[in-house]
Parts: sequence; structure tokens; C-alpha cells
Amino acid sequence: MNRRRVLRRRIVVAILLLLSVAMLTLYFRESDSGIARGVQSVVLRVVAPLQNGTSRATKPFRDAWNWAGDLFGAKAENDALRNEVEQLRVGVAKELTTQAENDELRAMVKLQGDKIFPKGVRLVTGRVVARSTTAWYSTATINVGSRIGVEVYDAVVNGAGLVGRVTNVTANAAQVTLITDQQSYVDGMVMPGGAQGILSGSVTGDVTLQYVDKNEKVKVGQDVVTSGISGPKGSIFTRGIPIGVVESVGLQEVELYQSIAVRPWVDFRKLDLVQVVVR
Amino acid sequence: MKLEHTPVDTAREWPSGREIARLAVLLVIAALLQTTVAPHIRILGANPDFALIIIVCVALMKGSEIGAVFGFLTGVMVAIALMEPFGLSAFVFVLVGYFAGRYAETADLSAGLAPLFITFAATLVANTLFAMAQFLLERQVPIGFFLGRVLIPSLIINTLLAAPLYLVVRLWLPGAGDLRVSRAR
Repeated sequence: MNRRRVLRRRIVVAILLLLSVAMLTLYFRESDSGIARGVQSVVLRVVAPLQNGTSRATKPFRDAWNWAGDLFGAKAENDALRNEVEQLRVGVAKELTTQAENDELRAMVKLQGDKIFPKGVRLVTGRVVARSTTAWYSTATINVGSRIGVEVYDAVVNGAGLVGRVTNVTANAAQVTLITDQQSYVDGMVMPGGAQGILSGSVTGDVTLQYVDKNEKVKVGQDVVTSGISGPKGSIFTRGIPIGVVESVGLQEVELYQSIAVRPWVDFRKLDLVQVVVR
Repeated sequence: MKLEHTPVDTAREWPSGREIARLAVLLVIAALLQTTVAPHIRILGANPDFALIIIVCVALMKGSEIGAVFGFLTGVMVAIALMEPFGLSAFVFVLVGYFAGRYAETADLSAGLAPLFITFAATLVANTLFAMAQFLLERQVPIGFFLGRVLIPSLIINTLLAAPLYLVVRLWLPGAGDLRVSRAR
């Protein structure tokens, strides 16, 4: 009797482990319309409203927690802000002198208006209902999906700037890969100046603008925005979406390119409402 | 409060319908806590792994078979909720549930250290397996980052959370027989 029980226990575990491996294999091998994603879509229809409710219900507690956490970082942030104000003073003076030149250049190359998003683009507002907790992924699940037009590769922004892009979508939910994820790549440029590069995330959450020509003069404090020059649909990210500010510039003689550390404008710890740029 | 440990009764049959219902509710709560609450709680640079701790608690109370099944379902639920590749979390959590349950069925650790000790070990194993999987998936796994920013903080925070979560899970699953909560004399 005891041996049968031991055998049953081992068979149960073996089946579960095999099932796990089979599911993992299926997930990576199948297309976007395969069985695994179909199951995921169906289950998410039930789970997403629960996540939404839990996310809303726990928001006051999360805010309180963040507030307490912010208190500890307030002193360091105060010093950093003082430095930033000084840099901004210089920036404003520079901005005033370049504004006229900028307007002229815009007219010359017939760039469309001052709006970041071109005509025909629709912004769909969604709420972050889940976040990856492992250090290996920087993803978020939002409560809008293909039912209202969200597609894979759509850019995701919030009031501060670029958040990421949609990498997986079901009827009423979408997975957003944040720009801090180590498999995130965004075509970015430094403004003013227009030095272009590829903005990539990392496992540590740091964001770096790579492959910037070493002849380009880039300074700490300059803005980094999307350049809108690559992607399977012409451009994933429309030109000019704010990304962050240059934090440091790494330039070594032996390197062909310079590597620029960028501090994103978006506070990824407090992501809540976002907008999907639907084209 | 004092936790005392005696081995789980291996002759226990599969749970009743009422127990299954309670385990199902616990599973949903574990998945929701893991995906909606844990990402916003950062202590020592790490997020608590509520799902893993709850799997350990269930396995300690209900044994290896139920622990493995509960781990599998929790892994699938978490992966679906995060729209991540499912199978990886399920694989790791089956192992965690099974071995935590086996420990409860065979060992006899006094003074209620079992949830803490097993959670510590489970966190170590789970994080190492996840890191290995990332390496196989050709993602960056810097060893310094893994030790300093993932493993050690996770070990501390998960172990600290194990005792209170164990008590809550135990209240939710009446009749669980391995650890008896008694007043310290």
C-alpha cells in the first residue's frame, strides 16, 4: 500500500514536470495564434478584472509605501534637484537662443507641426494591473488589448515619457516590455544635436544609449528622445517622444562608439496609468 | 507564539471538496499578491515572492503531492497573469512544492523553524533555477548582480515573511497537521 502511494507521488511529480517542459517548449515554438497563447487569452479574460480590482484596492497602500520609501531618498533627491535646477537655468538660456533657429529649421525641412504624434494616431488609456517581480524581466500587464485596437509593437507612454512597447496582446490585456528590460531596444537621439543611437535596457535596470558616433558631442543634462527611424512597421516609436536625460557619457579612445547612460523620465516604480499609441 | 513541528501524515488521502475550494482561493490570492502587490513592495532592493512562500506553506501543511500540484498551478497562473512564457515558473514551483512537502513528511524539526528554513532553501533553489533558465534563454545574468541584488535580498525578505504568512495560511487551511501553533509558556 505504502509502495503504491510512493509510486503515485513520483508519477504525479514526473507528469507535472513533463507538462511544464512541454508547455515551455510549446510557448516558444508556436505562433502568436497558437494553443498556449489561446489558453493565456481565455484565462486572462477572467484574471484581468481580478487584477484590475486588486490593483485599485491596494493602490492607497502602495502609495503609502512609496511615500514612506521616498522619505528616505528625499535628502539625496534634494541635492540632485538643486544641481538639476542649475543645469536647467543654463538650458533655458540656451533654449531661448535656439528657439528661433529651431522654428526656421522646422519650416525648412517641412516637419509636421509641434505635435509628437502624427495624424491618424490614437492614444488608448490603460492601467497597469500587474508587474513582473523577477529581476530578469521588466514587463507590465495593462488592461487594454486587441479589442480596442492595441497591437504588438505599439509604443506605450505616460505623462513623463516613453514607457515601452507592446510585446504580447490578448483581447483585453497586453504585455508591455519596459525600456529598462534587457531585451528592449529603442532608436533614440540626443537633443539638441541629434546624435543617434540605440537605447537599450539591462538586467540592472540601467538604460544606455549605445552606438553613438564618437565624434558627436554629447553633454550631461541633454535630453534623449525617440528618433523614429526604425522598426518593422516603418517606425515603432514616433519621433520626439521624451525618454530621459543624459546622466553620463562614456568615451574611451579604443571604442568605436560612445556609450551614454540615460536616466529615464518615467518613474517605473510608480507606473499606473499609461497610454498606448495605436496606429 | 510558538511553532512546533511533527512530520506530516503520509497516509493522508487527497483533500475533500471543501479543502480543494480553500486551496483554489489561496491559489488565486497567491497569484494576485505576486502580480499586483509584490512588484510595489521593494525591501533591500528585492520584491517579496509571495507565491513561493505560500507554496512552501501549503506543502508543509498538506504534503508533497498537493504541494507539487499547488506549485504547478500557481506557476501557471502567475505566468498567465504576467503574460510570460508559462512552464518555467510551473517547473520551478513543482520542485519547490514537492521537496518542501517531502521535508514535512520525513523530517522532525523542533521550535517551528520549518517554514523559515524551507522558505530560505526554496528561495535559494528557485532563484538559482530561474537564473539558470535566463542564462539558457540567452539573457544577461551577471553573477554579482544575481548575488547582490537578487539572491541575498530575496533570501532575507522571503525568510522574514515566511512566519507571518505561514500563520495566515494555517488559519485559512484548518486541519493542517504538521505544525501546531501553541502559546509560548
